[in-house]
Amino acid sequence: MPPSPDAPGRTGAGRGGHPLLRYLGIRFLVSLLLVWGVTLVTFVLTALVPADPVAAVLGDQAAADPEVVAQFRRELGLDRPLAVQYLLYLQRLVHLDLGTSAQTRQPVLDDLREAVPATLELALFVLVVSVVLGVGAGLLAALRHHRPVDGVVRVLSLVGISTPTFWLALILFYVGFYRLGWFPGSGRLDARMAPPPEVTGLLTVDSLLAGDAAAFTDAVAHLLLPGIVLTLYAVGLLARFSRSAVLDVLSAEHVTAARAKGLPARAVVFRYVLRAALVPILTVVGLSFGSLLSGSVLTEAVFAWHGLGQYAYQSATRLDLQAVMGVGLVVGITYITINFAVDVLTAFVDPRVRRR
Amino acid sequence: MRRRHFLSAAGLATTAVAAAGCSSDSGSDAEGSGGSGGSGGGSLVVDNAFDLKTADPARSFELTGAMLNKQLYETALTYTGSDVSEPVAQVCTYALSDDQRVLTLTIEGEHLFADGSAVDADDIVFSYQRVQGVKGNPSFLLDGVTVAKVDDSTVTLTSETPNPALPYILPNPSLGILNSELVQANGGTTGPDDAAETFLNSTSAGSGAYQLDTLQVTSQVVLEQNPSYGGEAPAFGRVVLENVQPATQKINVQSGTAQIATDLSADEVEGLDGGRTAVVSTASSYMIFAWFNTDPAHGGPAANPAFVQAVRKALDYDALLELTGEGSVQPGGVVPSQFVGHLESDPSNSHDPAAAEQLLAQSGYAGEPIEFLFSNDVAVSGVQLQLLAQAVQSQLQAVGITITLAPKPSATSLDSFRSGRFQAGLAYWGPDFPDPSNYLAFTPGENVGLRAGWTPQSPTAAQVMPLVEAARAASGPDARDAAYQALQRQMNVDGPFVPIVQPAQNVVTSSDLRDVALNPIWTLDLAALS
Repeated sequence: MPPSPDAPGRTGAGRGGHPLLRYLGIRFLVSLLLVWGVTLVTFVLTALVPADPVAAVLGDQAAADPEVVAQFRRELGLDRPLAVQYLLYLQRLVHLDLGTSAQTRQPVLDDLREAVPATLELALFVLVVSVVLGVGAGLLAALRHHRPVDGVVRVLSLVGISTPTFWLALILFYVGFYRLGWFPGSGRLDARMAPPPEVTGLLTVDSLLAGDAAAFTDAVAHLLLPGIVLTLYAVGLLARFSRSAVLDVLSAEHVTAARAKGLPARAVVFRYVLRAALVPILTVVGLSFGSLLSGSVLTEAVFAWHGLGQYAYQSATRLDLQAVMGVGLVVGITYITINFAVDVLTAFVDPRVRRR
Repeated sequence: MRRRHFLSAAGLATTAVAAAGCSSDSGSDAEGSGGSGGSGGGSLVVDNAFDLKTADPARSFELTGAMLNKQLYETALTYTGSDVSEPVAQVCTYALSDDQRVLTLTIEGEHLFADGSAVDADDIVFSYQRVQGVKGNPSFLLDGVTVAKVDDSTVTLTSETPNPALPYILPNPSLGILNSELVQANGGTTGPDDAAETFLNSTSAGSGAYQLDTLQVTSQVVLEQNPSYGGEAPAFGRVVLENVQPATQKINVQSGTAQIATDLSADEVEGLDGGRTAVVSTASSYMIFAWFNTDPAHGGPAANPAFVQAVRKALDYDALLELTGEGSVQPGGVVPSQFVGHLESDPSNSHDPAAAEQLLAQSGYAGEPIEFLFSNDVAVSGVQLQLLAQAVQSQLQAVGITITLAPKPSATSLDSFRSGRFQAGLAYWGPDFPDPSNYLAFTPGENVGLRAGWTPQSPTAAQVMPLVEAARAASGPDARDAAYQALQRQMNVDGPFVPIVQPAQNVVTSSDLRDVALNPIWTLDLAALS
């Protein structure tokens, strides 16, 4: 006789604690392990780069002076053995010290405090818009399967996914800003406008906190063009995944049964279809958010949006090892955190997950 | 050598937007863009592709840093506009001893720091000793120089050897004069333990036309007028330096969002709206050159002097100038065309395919591939080294020289170049100071010379070395001019370096800006604009 679904061996309750808490605890421990792994991987990969930061950072004359080179290596801790460097790196990390950037000569944490809010502001804007539009369009297309609306959503999502982001950025900047003048130009705020006092680093939020309506309007306006560029891709991606996920659920037996029992279509969609389809959708939303946060180098370059992508690219090309490690760590932790959040949400949405 | 880094991502963007931007017409309008447009309101917006690291003069040696520090700090001597032929007084007058070892600086007039205190000899001594002591990028500028105070308004700089270049070095913004009391109160010292950089990145301590308001080294710098500045008040009360890639700079300056764009290539300035914008163009002081390792162990067939001579004759310089755009010039030698001692032209570096083939036969070259190193992520004044290397490869192929391109990111190619063990390549040099002595680095046994395996013991150095010593010892503009020209002529015969091009430097401004003078050291003196 098969065990009852509620038997301890199936739910995990008999293995100690509430199954949800146990599930979250395990996920949290795995996340911590992953964070340590990220520190190790970023450090080792950076150490393996076949180039000397002295060449990348010091000028020709300075690099020819042994005293200057020695001073530079001492400042960056490059005069220590590799294992010692890693241990010191971990020790510093505990105190939130990510080292000093060779390209900006400031603490990497300070650089990230400037870059991350810029990217976060853009990413949140894109995420909110793309979740509303993408999931909505995907749901609509699935519910209108094989009808014209479905065709339109499929074509548009394909266009959104296939359009090269850098090309779209250039075209929209040129047409939307320069030719038509409908949007403001590059940057996060008009250069002639004084920024609001920094609280969060998000200009829209900080301007609201300061009660500066003009700065708020300008900051939102500057978000639009880069936001549209990144949103088109994200909407296309989410629409396709949402459509596919909803179609899968629509053909499931429990939905057919619900319909057969005469439940209203709205109830079937929101109580049975959408909830079940949320699991794959949440996963894609999480990955999209992670991707947006890790930066979009080309979009940021075109719009002079000095976020994480720009910082990462410049750090890599200038062999700014501390900065590269800092960015790697932030991006790694971002993905781990988002995955953890998605796992938590999934566990809430789908009870089967927490019973595994 | 100064650095020029351009994002290749941005380079990609540059190409595409430049194409788009070139097709713009005068009817374009971005009035609704949110920018105030024009140059009113007392603010000047300057778009620049930042290579900024710090606002601390003793540690800054990048192009953006030089432009920034020029606004914040006065120097003992300076240059007038774009004329770098003769240093002139800014804070001090100068006198060089007959043996060219002792330079005496005497403070002229009253120069005030932003806090109202006057510049004195202690400030000059502290500033120079700090540059030497912190061992930053610009510390070499004062190598072998002893700085001493004579009295409150007099300072002497004593060099170990005759140093006629010193007056030409002192206008460098890295040698800006700091308020010594203020800096020392904020951690400043004249040794490696100096801790004033953070302070100087938030508060400037100079007597320049502007003072620092905010500094974000990756995105934006804002300057405010220095109320204590003793010179003529600048036309703009506020300056915003924005880090913007060239493609976006072009659109910003056309739309009026920015009044100055500093990094447009010759191709990008074509088709600009002449009603709204003005282009200030000159040959840049960057010199792009090919080099061949003279050490047979590393250079192989390329180490043969006849081979290098063949390369000089094989290159079609006019075609290369066409490729690099209008305003580019061919340097006669390694010294750029705007400096004392430059060569207008030299028959050694002229296109003659028949002579090239003859020289190649003399060299015994049998078609072995020559590995040719270059940075594939660098554009020098808008000229992509990748494109230039491909053109050189094609031209040399025409006379039978097989070039294998070895592109690398600048972070690794510099390492290979500096190792002195690579076979050949394409590189560039920007002046540390506008004096031909800076180019002695290309001579045997010196910094750049060694990268091409060129030592005083190299067979090809025999006739060059006496000319190097003569150039070092020459005194007075005419004698130095003649000595450096003679040296370069011989280097064009025996040396491993083939000067190819000085690309055009273009700065685009809104059409209502006046007195825009390009300077090879600090690009623009923003306080001098009107």
